[in-house]
Amino acid sequence: MSDLELSVAAKDTGHTRWLPAEWLWRAMLPIALVVLLLGFAAVDGRVLSPANLLNIAQQTSYLALFAMAQTVVILTRGFDLALGPTVSMVSVGTALAMAGATASGHDTTTVLLAGLGAGFGLGIACGLFNGVVIALLGVNPFVATLGSYNIAIGVATTLSAGRPVQGVPGTFSQIFYGGNIFGVPAAIAITVAIGVVLQLMLARTVFGRSLYIIGTNPRAAAVAGLPVKRILVLTYVLCSALAALGAIMMTARTGSGEPNLGGSLSLQAIAGAVVGGTSLAGGRGGVGTAVLGALFVTILSNGMNLTRIDGYVQMVVLGAIVIIGVLLDRLRLERRQ
Amino acid sequence: MSTILTATPPRTTIGSGRSIVGRIGLLPALLVALVAGMSAIDPQFYGILNILNILRNASFLAIVACGQALVIIAGGFDLSVGAVVALASVVTAKTMAAAAAAFPGNNALIIASGVAAGLGCGLLVGLVNGFCVAKLKVSGFVVTLGTMSATAGVGLMITSGIPVYGMPEAFVKGFGRAQVFGLPTAVYLALAVILVTMFAQRRTLFGRYVYAIGGNVDAAVVSGVSIQRHIVGTYVLSSVLAALAGILLTAQVGSGQASFGGDRMMLQSIAAAVIGGVSLRGGVGRVEIVAISALFLTILGNALNLLHIDSRLQPVFLGVIMVAAVALDELSRRRKSRV
Repeated sequence: MSDLELSVAAKDTGHTRWLPAEWLWRAMLPIALVVLLLGFAAVDGRVLSPANLLNIAQQTSYLALFAMAQTVVILTRGFDLALGPTVSMVSVGTALAMAGATASGHDTTTVLLAGLGAGFGLGIACGLFNGVVIALLGVNPFVATLGSYNIAIGVATTLSAGRPVQGVPGTFSQIFYGGNIFGVPAAIAITVAIGVVLQLMLARTVFGRSLYIIGTNPRAAAVAGLPVKRILVLTYVLCSALAALGAIMMTARTGSGEPNLGGSLSLQAIAGAVVGGTSLAGGRGGVGTAVLGALFVTILSNGMNLTRIDGYVQMVVLGAIVIIGVLLDRLRLERRQ
Repeated sequence: MSTILTATPPRTTIGSGRSIVGRIGLLPALLVALVAGMSAIDPQFYGILNILNILRNASFLAIVACGQALVIIAGGFDLSVGAVVALASVVTAKTMAAAAAAFPGNNALIIASGVAAGLGCGLLVGLVNGFCVAKLKVSGFVVTLGTMSATAGVGLMITSGIPVYGMPEAFVKGFGRAQVFGLPTAVYLALAVILVTMFAQRRTLFGRYVYAIGGNVDAAVVSGVSIQRHIVGTYVLSSVLAALAGILLTAQVGSGQASFGGDRMMLQSIAAAVIGGVSLRGGVGRVEIVAISALFLTILGNALNLLHIDSRLQPVFLGVIMVAAVALDELSRRRKSRV
């Protein structure tokens, strides 16, 4: 019986009384971002230089895109472990298609279209696989995307023979990396545009709203007559398509198709989303949380790099931050109830 | 208390009837087919060296997968096992090297301190995982994602990524590479781990409660099971077993390396558990089948190597088999619930 009492006692929210008010919670991550920036700036003034701030913004735009992709599926209580390998696969596929089209003497427009077509094609194929296996076959998202994680790694390294794929035309890099819109670098402009569209979609469309409903209560969503399976398939396709876009932007930056481009991106994107306040239990989060989380992770690693903190120590810090972030979020929820 | 036990007889919580029987039949059948097919194609396959190699590698995986299976049965996840293998490896090697410098010649003390330090690392990571999941109620996925990064970071930090040497010969030649009755020592340890876990799952309160918690947490709470202590227990066991695998690997290779284990070991241990019929919904699964599935995965990798299939293409096979195994299971469950 003492065990029963123990677990009941644990549900008492008394220990959350010291926590600050709700409005302060909302402002906490932005405040933490500013404190972090100022703290690093105190150690090294270069942190706040315009060049580094632009660098941070540019770095963030990639991670934010991946965190948004991850957020979309996390909203429905899923997640995509295969995101990183999808990025690698798309990078290799895009580069190979463009190199092939260039070699067979097509003009620049055709070459670019071939690259984009191959990239998004591979991305959407991967998303379709995940979506069908998860929604129609009912496989747990962890296993399904762990499966496609392995498959995508295999495809990426086999297609590229494990080496970087050369032959990415200069115009491709110029458009998706070097280009700018009214002085804003392409990567930032694309991510902002996608963020705005995605936020509108999540907040204003039936599809977007139904993601929240499915995440909050899948059974209720089904009973309410939502085509849950179709929506889930679309969600995973959307996630992988966003990942493919990010992969294309990163390929433009490196100027070659990299079979290791995705590396630890799956987990970084999940970490970004989760630190920003997206709930793994589904139904809570959005573009804002993804961007804030990505910004936080990027500023942290940028600051630690500039202040010459050992890369291995950085891994430890990032791990601790992920746990603390989720813990704080849980305390906040407890207080609200 | 005893009424609770009799109220949940083993068979009912393990899973209902036919699909489990079908699966027990399916995996060994696949295993036999794989072994028979490979033996027919390539005589190297049943060479004594290759068999010993397979058994040794399967032992490492089986030990890690046993712990992973317990965590998953209780409804959790342990992403940190691969990193624990690495950390235990470098800590064991570092401690032995330090002890060897401090007490030259005293092999028993050197080895004991090294093994204790390695297992201690596992214990520590397991306690952190368990504390965060059970007491702080953070999702197991996120907690172990965090400790995975942190543990791997500490392992690399200690060694700067360079292999650690300086372990006594007695540990490497006399234990890690030794054979008893023609089999590597790791095989005996793996068998012992599997047998003890099998016993624990069937005959101890801990094992039964792990099923109860994974099957229905609320019911377990109402039945008076102390959820927190048992969840901490599964994470601690998982990490300690991962540390044991790390120590065994270190003894076999002869150096402590932060590159041991890693993501690959973590993913493979989850794959072995899932293919071995452990349900990610919790409450279902048996370690002996997980061990068979670890053997199956190891033989599969070995077979793909012997058949000269590009190592880059091999993950595709693993991925397809994993998804197919779980999808088949899910489909058979649906068919049954429809009847």
